[in-house]
Amino acid sequence: MVKFVKVIPIAVKVGTVTIKYPYAKPLVTDSFRGAIEVNPSKCTGCGACTRICPPKALSMSIEGETAILRYFIGRCIFCGMCADVCPEKAIKITKEFELASEQVFDLYVDVEHEVVTCKRCGSKFVTSRLLNKVEQKLEEFPKELLYLCPRCRRIEMLSKQTYLR
Amino acid sequence: MEVQRQTNLETFSSKDLEKALQRIKKSIWVFHLNTGSCNGCDIEILDVLTPWFDVERFGIKLVASPRHADVVLLTGPITIKTLPRLVKALRAVPRPRLVLAIGSCAVGGNIWFNSYATLGGFPNIIDKLNELGIIIDKVVYVPGCPARPEAIIYGVAVMLNLIKQKSHYKKVKT
Repeated sequence: MVKFVKVIPIAVKVGTVTIKYPYAKPLVTDSFRGAIEVNPSKCTGCGACTRICPPKALSMSIEGETAILRYFIGRCIFCGMCADVCPEKAIKITKEFELASEQVFDLYVDVEHEVVTCKRCGSKFVTSRLLNKVEQKLEEFPKELLYLCPRCRRIEMLSKQTYLR
Repeated sequence: MEVQRQTNLETFSSKDLEKALQRIKKSIWVFHLNTGSCNGCDIEILDVLTPWFDVERFGIKLVASPRHADVVLLTGPITIKTLPRLVKALRAVPRPRLVLAIGSCAVGGNIWFNSYATLGGFPNIIDKLNELGIIIDKVVYVPGCPARPEAIIYGVAVMLNLIKQKSHYKKVKT
């Protein structure tokens, strides 16, 4: 009982420490990392972020006529590795952390990309935006090989070399 | 009459849930259930209960038994070892059975979503719990690794319909 009395002057000196959360703004520093935001006008769909993401919150899949870059906030650990690795600087780290939702469905963000089909086998292998970017960078690359999927490209190259001999 | 309707599992509709939520608006008691969490989210829950965030000003109180609880604070990716205890604890919670899944483990499994030792988050077992007769009336998912104390308070507010949720499904074309 006597020990407890010692606390009272300390408590009076310190005063109230409770923050008024819903009304006062929460403490968010410059280095704070929240949910990420993908800029659809910059993203090429290269998939570098899906490879670096530790919990695979970002995933790339081809569904029908479109390639979808899917971001699942529920699995994200807010490490910011995707923003570091993105070659186009399309991923921005926001300060958003009030993400609670009643449905898991609401925690998904999809970015749709157009897909290029292989001219020989008809399989979809890369987003058209990434192909255009590669086409600009590689000027000497033969054009007929560019629109083939990796497997068909290999066959094409090999058959060319064998015919030469 | 009211009590009879509550105990009947089949006739507990969404209207009854709304009524029950109105009754619960005064103050909620929470039970903390750790299902193989790394203790990060557990420490954040303790943070919420400290004088700094002082969640008792909203009437939210931590209780020791699931029988006294209105809301279950669930953390962790639900490991195989904790599953029987989870089922036992959730069965003891009275209706309306509300669950606040805290942290990215409980929501999506985090880096253990594909592991053989975990079930990869709470959404994966809701259907199985329903089969067992444990009907979860409402679940609110609070992402974050760990979830911030403010985010947990926000999640409770979403659960009690005090505010509308911010996050919605987005689909953008390039």
